[in-house]
Amino acid sequence: MTASPQPGKLLPPPFSLIAELTHRCPLHCLYCSNPIEMQRAEEELSTEDWIRVFRQAAQLGILHVHFTGGEPLARKDLPELIQAARDAGLYVNMITSGVGLTEARLSSLVEAGLDHLQLSLQDIEEVTANHVAGTRAHEIKLALIPIIKRFPIGFTMNLVVHRLNLDRLEEFIALAETLGPDRLEIAHVQYYGWALKNRDLLMPTEEQVRRSIPIVEAAKKRLAGRIHLEAVVPDYFGSYPKPCMGGWGKQAMLIDPSGQALPCHAAAVIPDMHFQNVRTDNLSSIWNFSSAFQRFRGDAWMPDDCRSCERKELDFGGCRCQAMLLTNDPNAMDPVCKHSPQHALMEELRQPVASSQMFPIWRK
Amino acid sequence: MNIDSVPRLSPGCRLHPAGDALLIPEGALNLKGPAREVLARLDGKRSISEIAADLLAEYPAAPPEVIQQDVLTLLERMQQRGVIRYDP
Repeated sequence: MTASPQPGKLLPPPFSLIAELTHRCPLHCLYCSNPIEMQRAEEELSTEDWIRVFRQAAQLGILHVHFTGGEPLARKDLPELIQAARDAGLYVNMITSGVGLTEARLSSLVEAGLDHLQLSLQDIEEVTANHVAGTRAHEIKLALIPIIKRFPIGFTMNLVVHRLNLDRLEEFIALAETLGPDRLEIAHVQYYGWALKNRDLLMPTEEQVRRSIPIVEAAKKRLAGRIHLEAVVPDYFGSYPKPCMGGWGKQAMLIDPSGQALPCHAAAVIPDMHFQNVRTDNLSSIWNFSSAFQRFRGDAWMPDDCRSCERKELDFGGCRCQAMLLTNDPNAMDPVCKHSPQHALMEELRQPVASSQMFPIWRK
Repeated sequence: MNIDSVPRLSPGCRLHPAGDALLIPEGALNLKGPAREVLARLDGKRSISEIAADLLAEYPAAPPEVIQQDVLTLLERMQQRGVIRYDP
């Protein structure tokens, strides 16, 4: 059994800091990973708070910071935050909708030290893309891409796929190819937050998923050396769980807009969690000693069958939030695992629901 | 890629200012031995043979053909990984 850290002995640091700067966003995507209870602008951390967090992060040994939200551009102090993170020694990535990003504004962000930008597309068809985003963002994004390409930063395009667009994957990848990002991610919707509310609408059929696999494989080969392609498979269709977040409290630390430190985007769905706040605690003590990060570290919490399973070194017991959301028990086996007594649930969830019964719920 | 190619780091890739790591989108590559020395010399202007000559000036004990081959092998591996681009 791997134990909790002994006093005086510190854990290896996380690799990345996920900085949710704000929950404000011009988009209302059906699959948004933000919590249902979002934080208001007046609860957000100040510029000084964030700058302190970036310095503590670099000191702790963190290498990457991902500026996300909501929409990071909603923060007026974004250039200052990028500069502070970069000065602290961090690699700065920004995940953006692109709405509100002009050439002049991007220029100021790159000058401040932005290393990489990630932009997602909702579809190849404008009508569906705007429907999923809950706003007219598709044309804005397409117009922005040639502008982004003029800057000396890394550029990842993210295609978010689900039942409504998975049949167009081939054309979707072809579009991405003409736009020429450095990296391309094909990411199936993960069913947490708003996406879970819209699961019946967004969950692809097994047939769709099966057809998409050779398309992704062919694109990987075709694009090799030009565009680096990463594909995230939907774990609802797997036999083994995903190594969620690279393991609980192992790779990443998320700071939400109000300064709470979470092991992942969805951790607040687990009962009896207490999240420490960067306004009062420093990152090293949160990472090494807080109850939230300790709770599912190692294998002491695992059901016996997981603790004796050799795959625990690969998937670290799967996703705790998924176990909670689907079985109502955060300590249960991730039901995606074929050894889970509740695995039959996944088969049920994979059955398509008649589309007449579905109403989209847009993120606020 | 050959000794006349002019390599440079791909957009979004840079050396960590202190540690022996190459920071890349969504990751970092640990650099062992002379890899950092080579990558630090990529400026998008010098060819692989010029970079090897520069290294040779600093480490005169090493055989020139070995240095040139080592640099080429390293950069080809990095190019496979997508973190190096080059002009032919």
